[in-house]
Amino acid sequence: MKDSCSSISRLLEKCFDQEATGEERLIVESHLRDCAACQDALRSMEGLRGLIKSPVEEALQKEDFPWVWQNIEKRIRLQEKLSWWQSIRAWLDLSPLFKRKVWVPAVATAVVLLFVTAQIILNKPSYPDASVVEYVESETNDVMVYDLEKAKVTVIWLFEGPEEEAIPS
Amino acid sequence: MDHEETEMISRCQQGDQEALKEIYDKYHTKVYRIAYGVVRQREDALDIVQEVFIKLFRSIKNFKGRSHFYTYLYRMTMNTAIDHARKVGKKFVSSLDEEGSFEPSDGAEKGPERILLQKELEERVKVAMDKLPGEQKAAIIFRDVEGLSYQEMAEAMGCSIGTVMSRLHYGRKRMQEFLKDYVMLHGQSRGGQSSPKL
Repeated sequence: MKDSCSSISRLLEKCFDQEATGEERLIVESHLRDCAACQDALRSMEGLRGLIKSPVEEALQKEDFPWVWQNIEKRIRLQEKLSWWQSIRAWLDLSPLFKRKVWVPAVATAVVLLFVTAQIILNKPSYPDASVVEYVESETNDVMVYDLEKAKVTVIWLFEGPEEEAIPS
Repeated sequence: MDHEETEMISRCQQGDQEALKEIYDKYHTKVYRIAYGVVRQREDALDIVQEVFIKLFRSIKNFKGRSHFYTYLYRMTMNTAIDHARKVGKKFVSSLDEEGSFEPSDGAEKGPERILLQKELEERVKVAMDKLPGEQKAAIIFRDVEGLSYQEMAEAMGCSIGTVMSRLHYGRKRMQEFLKDYVMLHGQSRGGQSSPKL
């Protein structure tokens, strides 16, 4: 091995990986022409690559990926179902108060109260349509008019004029 | 990243399983190659392929498109495969004993010599790979199996090109030491005695 071999080894590896520049390649090629040790190093890298890669390629050629996609789909579906159910359970687990029986009557009372309140609000007495009462004062008679819109009825009262108020002595 | 792929990823991010199927069709062989490169065993590699695509479906929302999608997927595959190998490795009983001598299994004993040698070689490569640190193993598989460039490897491994080169260099060096009797033989059988080509 020459002294320059150690400095060339990184370049040799770059060339082997097709990452060297044109200039670097020329340097390595020129070195390789009369360096048996670096030729061996290159062969050794080729050999190693072959040992690692060939079985992978052979395995891939034989492989037909049986049921792989079906299994993926199935497992995703299962996880989705589980996660839905688990989230509910997790929520319940996070509410330890729900586990105590003492809350059962309280919750029942609240539900009853809610129901009763809702009934009261919903069954609020309804008033008939708007009606108008007018009072008109005059010197001869007082008139009061009651006008019921829905029934289209108008009631008019006539009153005698107000007597003078007695002045206290 | 082409428009079609961007659209496919976007649909998958919204939970569309059809889009995941399209991603699977496009990438499952590449995922398998990386997985097999790490675990060197068919059933485990198929398990990893499934695991990766399920993980992808769950986590694709986190993919922001800052890197290439395939480097994101390759990184996920490599991490899953290395984790898997670690778990399986604890249970794995190698047929190589402490001194490294090979004890053939019953099936191999009956087969032709070539198959036996092939099995022995495969076993040795697996043991050697298992001895490498994860980053060096990843670098070798990305480059020598998947043929990624240094730039792509840096993206997939989340490091600089210098670090990629260093991991590759030391990984290869260790593998050559582990497999020194086989490496030269394999190199010569492929290239003969003529000068190797760059």
